[in-house]
Amino acid sequence: MAAARRLIARWYSVPLLLALWQAASLAGLVSPRLLPDPRLVAQTFWADLMNGTLVHHAEFSIMRALLGYAAATVVGTAIGLVMARSRLARDFVEPVFFFGYPIPKIALFPVFAFVFGFGTPSKIAFVFLECLYPIAIATYFGFAQVPERHIWAAQSMGAGRSTVLWRVMIPAALPAIFSGLRIALPIAIVVVIITEMIGDTTGLGFYITNAAVSFKYPGVYAGIAAVAILGFAFDRAFALLRNRVIHWERQHLALY
Amino acid sequence: MSRFLRHVALPVATLILWELLGRTGHLPDFLSTPSGIGAALAEIAASGELARHLGISLLRAVSGFAIGAAAGVLFGLAAGISAPVRNFFDAPVSLLYPVPKIAFYPIILLWLGLGDLSKIVVVAVSVWFPVFIAAIEASRAVQLQLVWAAQSMGAGRGIVFRRVVLPAALPQLFAGLRVGLALAFVSLFAAELIGANTGLGYLVADGEQNLRFDIMFAGIVVFGVIGFLADRLLLVVRRRMLRGQLIGTAEGAF
Repeated sequence: MAAARRLIARWYSVPLLLALWQAASLAGLVSPRLLPDPRLVAQTFWADLMNGTLVHHAEFSIMRALLGYAAATVVGTAIGLVMARSRLARDFVEPVFFFGYPIPKIALFPVFAFVFGFGTPSKIAFVFLECLYPIAIATYFGFAQVPERHIWAAQSMGAGRSTVLWRVMIPAALPAIFSGLRIALPIAIVVVIITEMIGDTTGLGFYITNAAVSFKYPGVYAGIAAVAILGFAFDRAFALLRNRVIHWERQHLALY
Repeated sequence: MSRFLRHVALPVATLILWELLGRTGHLPDFLSTPSGIGAALAEIAASGELARHLGISLLRAVSGFAIGAAAGVLFGLAAGISAPVRNFFDAPVSLLYPVPKIAFYPIILLWLGLGDLSKIVVVAVSVWFPVFIAAIEASRAVQLQLVWAAQSMGAGRGIVFRRVVLPAALPQLFAGLRVGLALAFVSLFAAELIGANTGLGYLVADGEQNLRFDIMFAGIVVFGVIGFLADRLLLVVRRRMLRGQLIGTAEGAF
């Protein structure tokens, strides 16, 4: 009963806002082009879901986001680890990461489009670049804060380098790494959609701009809804995965 | 000194290699060369084109950020203090958070046109989300004992908010503002690239279309620099406002 009430308290505003939207559009308070009837949006969403259009574009977006994200995870954690353990390596790459972090990398996208082509590769490369920063920096701080005492304790009990790495350092750094991964996940989705909007012929970003330029405004909202569902599903899946991997330090992950 | 050398080694080596390969014709045209980009920068600076587009982009970024940040702090603190407000925003915000706000840009364009206002709105909306979420977390991080202590010494609601809640919430607020600032520049650039006829994003798109890749890069460089400087400026403001709180932390030691 209490759980049901919490659920209602938490979610009631979504149907409420939808009802308000519906009422406003029935009363003619909003321009049907700016804010089309929600039933029309739902129809468009359903029709494009059933005929496979949305699925087709979503597949491209998901594939690009996940490939770029996976590459950034592998390279980013490796860079973070090396930065934390080697003074020399840190001196070389530190400025690239700490000064490069606040630079809006989106400005480089036109160059990426030229170098990698306008299709899938430039999007994957760009997701990789954008996700690399938070992952590498979180990993760096994660490994840098492993207490030296724990390492000494393991060493004094005869642990070799690889045992120290796998049994002491990685478990200690994992929570920090996962918080970096969690920051990077919505970035991957946002970057894919934005770059698809700038120029492509596939992906949900294209679906949205294409609907807009052909004056099918319900399609814009259907596309936005698809991205929202995708982002929400990604975040929930990530929360489950995180608590599975870091089972010794479960976290109640709030909705955002 | 050798540490400084190692710090600059990678960027300097990249620039030199880029210049050499470009001059010997080993790079495609669209990569230009660092010296060519410098010359293009001087060219658009002299013609006044740079100042015009830069001024417009800055105006959009600053006003969009200011509006989005102020609204985010206001709503976020309200949601942090009151459970009904929080419950109302919780689900819609979590659903819309991973949606790039630029996805609404086609609608905003239709509504507000190609001018400054459409960019300011899309920037403000992008900034609002992370600031709102940070402000919720921030106001909930305030320790109740501190509030009680102030109340027991006779502080009213206004004083409790200004002297206890706000200072305690500031560190988290600044974390949200920093994310918001980064998103402001991302949204602005994408908006100016997708639909605009002024601003740095347009300068980049225009250079690309006219095959003036040196101008395209000059725009990219300027945009990167203002994004970087804006972040530094925010950190300076943060440090001044958190002066008292940074004492005894690693950051306060600098």
